[in-house]
Amino acid sequence: MPSIMKISVNHQIIEISGQRTLLEELRQAGLEIPSLCSDGENMHHASCMVCMVKDCQSGQMIPSCATRPREGMEIETDSEEIRRLRRISLELLLSDHRADCEAPCTLVCPQGIPVDRVVYLYDLGLKAQAKALVGGKDCSQCTKMPCQKACRRGSVDKSVRIRDIIGELIHDTSLPQGDHPAESCDKTLFNSRIGRFTEPEKERMKQQYSQPSRCLHCACQGRDKCRLRQLASQAGIKASRYGLSSQLPFKQEIHVNGRLWFEPAKCIRCGQCVHRTNNGFTFLGRGFGMQVIIPEQNKANIDEQIAACCPTGALYLKTEESC
Amino acid sequence: MACEHCQASSPDQARQALIRRTDAIIDRIGTGREVAIPLLQAIQEEFSWLPSDALERVYQRTEIDRAQMISVATFYTQFRMIPYGEHIIRVCCGTACHVKGADIVYDAFRRELGIAPDSITTADQRYSIEKIPCLGCCALAPAVQIDNRIFGHVQPGRVDQVLAEFEQQTAQQQEASQTALQQPPQGEVRLGMENCCQASGTAQVREAVEQACRELGIRVDIKPVSCVGACQQVPLIDVAMPDGSITRYPKIRPEEVREILLHHFKPASKLRQLRNKVYQQAGWLHTDQGWDNQLYMEEQQRTRSINNFLEGQMRISTEGYGLMNPLDIDEYVHRGGFEVLRKVLEMKSEDIIEEIVGSGLRGRGGGGFPTGRKWQLVAGQADTQRYVICNGDEGDPGAFMDRILLESYPLRVIEGLIIAACAVGAEEGILYIRAEYPQAVIRVRRALEMCREKGYWGEHILGSRHCVRLRLFEGAGAFVCGEETALIASIEGQRGFPRLRPPYPAQQGLWGHPTLINNVETLSQVPYILRHGAESYARTGTPGSKGTKVFALAGKVRHGGLIEVPMGTTLRQIVEQIGGGIEKGEKLKAVQTGGPSGGCIPAELCDTPVDFDALNQMGAIMGSGGLVVLSQSDCMVDVARYFLNFISGESCGKCTFCRVGARRMLDILERLTSGQGTLEDLDRLEELALGIRQAALCGLGKTAPNPVLSTLRHFRHEYLEHVQGICQTGSCKQMVQLSVTDDCIGCTKCARCCPADAIPFEPYRKHRIDTDKCTLCGLCIEECDFNAIHYENKRQSPDHRN
Repeated sequence: MPSIMKISVNHQIIEISGQRTLLEELRQAGLEIPSLCSDGENMHHASCMVCMVKDCQSGQMIPSCATRPREGMEIETDSEEIRRLRRISLELLLSDHRADCEAPCTLVCPQGIPVDRVVYLYDLGLKAQAKALVGGKDCSQCTKMPCQKACRRGSVDKSVRIRDIIGELIHDTSLPQGDHPAESCDKTLFNSRIGRFTEPEKERMKQQYSQPSRCLHCACQGRDKCRLRQLASQAGIKASRYGLSSQLPFKQEIHVNGRLWFEPAKCIRCGQCVHRTNNGFTFLGRGFGMQVIIPEQNKANIDEQIAACCPTGALYLKTEESC
Repeated sequence: MACEHCQASSPDQARQALIRRTDAIIDRIGTGREVAIPLLQAIQEEFSWLPSDALERVYQRTEIDRAQMISVATFYTQFRMIPYGEHIIRVCCGTACHVKGADIVYDAFRRELGIAPDSITTADQRYSIEKIPCLGCCALAPAVQIDNRIFGHVQPGRVDQVLAEFEQQTAQQQEASQTALQQPPQGEVRLGMENCCQASGTAQVREAVEQACRELGIRVDIKPVSCVGACQQVPLIDVAMPDGSITRYPKIRPEEVREILLHHFKPASKLRQLRNKVYQQAGWLHTDQGWDNQLYMEEQQRTRSINNFLEGQMRISTEGYGLMNPLDIDEYVHRGGFEVLRKVLEMKSEDIIEEIVGSGLRGRGGGGFPTGRKWQLVAGQADTQRYVICNGDEGDPGAFMDRILLESYPLRVIEGLIIAACAVGAEEGILYIRAEYPQAVIRVRRALEMCREKGYWGEHILGSRHCVRLRLFEGAGAFVCGEETALIASIEGQRGFPRLRPPYPAQQGLWGHPTLINNVETLSQVPYILRHGAESYARTGTPGSKGTKVFALAGKVRHGGLIEVPMGTTLRQIVEQIGGGIEKGEKLKAVQTGGPSGGCIPAELCDTPVDFDALNQMGAIMGSGGLVVLSQSDCMVDVARYFLNFISGESCGKCTFCRVGARRMLDILERLTSGQGTLEDLDRLEELALGIRQAALCGLGKTAPNPVLSTLRHFRHEYLEHVQGICQTGSCKQMVQLSVTDDCIGCTKCARCCPADAIPFEPYRKHRIDTDKCTLCGLCIEECDFNAIHYENKRQSPDHRN
């Protein structure tokens, strides 16, 4: 194999080493190629298809992460057609992705209080930190209470009494005065949908969340590292045109080990965690109903670090900071 | 059930027994990761499902771990995680069965057996029921398999009879008595004993022949022969006399057998002759059965439709149809089999390949890649460890060519495979056959043993330098494994996930070595080419596609079956001449070719000569060769929905476009077929279909939208009608209801046949149909002698109350 290979990319000849996957080579050459499930040199795991480029000779779209460059290849990496197909693949993934990126309460708060994080800390008993996040804003007189109207718990039984909780924190003089700059969420980013709760799901929610606030903690704890969200935001997607008809259970949190948690409803079935663990995660079934699961007996074989390979918030580390 | 051995005194002892049996299986099969599928198959065969204790034992004793096991066992449909009932009813949901009402048959069985909605097994554990993609008996549609027995033309109102017949046969099964007679045979009676022939009564005819011979003292050879292909004309027997004359009797009944035998053969003794004469005459006077006996029909009248069926066909893959015993290796050799293998063993590899290249043979599995080029590619690799694989994982609903070829001509396929191995320099060959074809598996296994005994494969074949080892691998039920790279993954003991090509299997295939994968039919053409020469072969066909093609003709055609025609025959010729036109006097609407990867060709384009390129241009593909004929009473949107439903269940799940995309297309089609679709849905459907075609990972994914794209192209008006809430054909059950017209005289025939009691028993009054109870099975339409019951669209009907 020659050490230097010439390929045509977007009608320009570039030189590459030819030793790595097309995706790696293109990135090395300074091109920006989006991808979710690429696994470095491990080819043949192509799943998300977001990294597709056009092979101008065959007219086919090929996943660049699973392609070995060939001398004389002619590739297009950016065109309206490619952007459209990448967008379709993202929308298809999002139509089977049941999650709230941000909690609706935080999104609607006119004062910009990170409501979900305040309530999360409150539930952990960390009231001082919670109060600090409110940042001295007083909403105990708020009459419209958009946070409570938007609250997911409202569609299960009754909304969380957010205003009372925040009021309790502000007026608790035993806590130090909060001076933490309260940062709210970036509202320009994409927000996923969860669709309607089924009746059994409502029952499960009631049992699963019985802590003082009754909050469902619907905000995704892996949203900061979520590449699906980043790419959807970049592509300007507001909602999937294919609707949402997922069979996945919302907020079914499975403790793997240590700080590692798994939420199947956010999984895009790319199988990165399956390929990178030995007798750990595995696929179940096939077709649209295919799932990634972690058998009980295999949990001990998993290392916390695996969370980093997950392109969504399906695998995440639960920490105080991640809330 | 199978666990009678382990009815030990304590659960612990039972567990011990189970582990001992599991150990025996592991010792027999092996412990490597690659044996996962054969191991699971053996465990299931032993216990009839996969008990968790047995699997735990597998984790302990083999390299197969839990993650691999779960991933593999849940990928393939063959494996069962829960115990099933004593007998398994498999309702075929192939294309041909679908258009003839397989769903209604399935519901009827469930109703008849009283299976609870959330279960698949009867309360007494006697029966379990499941739908399966295709039994490959499309000419018998709708077909149902109970254990290993197939029942054809099952009507929803008659499932009780099917079950009764099955129970009766099960009870009778033990009494198989044989009386050996010493005289030399007076002649030969030939009958097709393929899975599908047996289903349509050939088994009973055979019993009748045996019984009649015993009673009459006639000594004939009963010879099971390869398939004639005329599935609508069975049970069919040929009576061959020592003088070489053959008389053919199609569609005979068991009670006619006796008379036919008497016509050709003399009973043993004078006394018997006399006694028979008397009985015969007495029977003759008392019944009128003699008058419509096949024996008394004119030769021409008797065999006209079958002659039309056979006319215009040409036999290469199916040479020797109807007269060769599939497992008689001496007969095969006598007819020129393996002769060419001897020649090939002496030839240089390049010369063999040159012949194949020159013949213009193209792969019959679907894509139509030139076979010779593929052989060259493999032979040209530097890596000398090479494999050949015969792809017999025919999963397309509506196709059964490979099954018949494997059941009827296993020796020819094996010869083709050995030749391929010698040509490309491979020392190991694998026949990959889907487990849904038990008869094919049994015959090929037996044929392999016979060839081995004769030295046609093994070390130094017939004393030459070539060594080829062959083995059989049973596919475990996954449509996607027809795709080369997925097939390889499954032989390696993995889920059938395809990979991006290149590298092609010819470069890096099984275990990373060059691998030649050819379809069953492709290989069965190989011996002919080498025997008669490339030139002679290339004389048949069209410029782009040479030779013949085997098709499975099924659907609404009068005479379905397995046919082999020269490339370039038009679809109309196939449907009209060979198939005898559309049944029930309806008009041809379209022909569906290529199964879920193919498309629908409208009647007006059916005059195009069939070859790979012409079909591609029409938006369909040759595929493996299933032809499902659709009539005016078939709804094209429903056909598209049917295929997408199939694909979204069979998609391997690896890439987004196929896994989620196919499901989203199905969502839209389900909205359309329930009358909720919009015009925007049509646009979204088309955009998605084009996207999947361009960007799915493997060949199956890329072709998955073809049924939608081809129907959108040729039958867009039907989609538009569905947006308006109209299904002209009544196929989309959610959009229609049954109604009774004024032609009804109140004969109560419909009320009596209705399985859902939706028609009150009101003699001499126009019947009413309770639409809440009605399951739309359509049985009443067939029963009504006055043509007074019709489907009508809900949205159009004036008295629609909702």
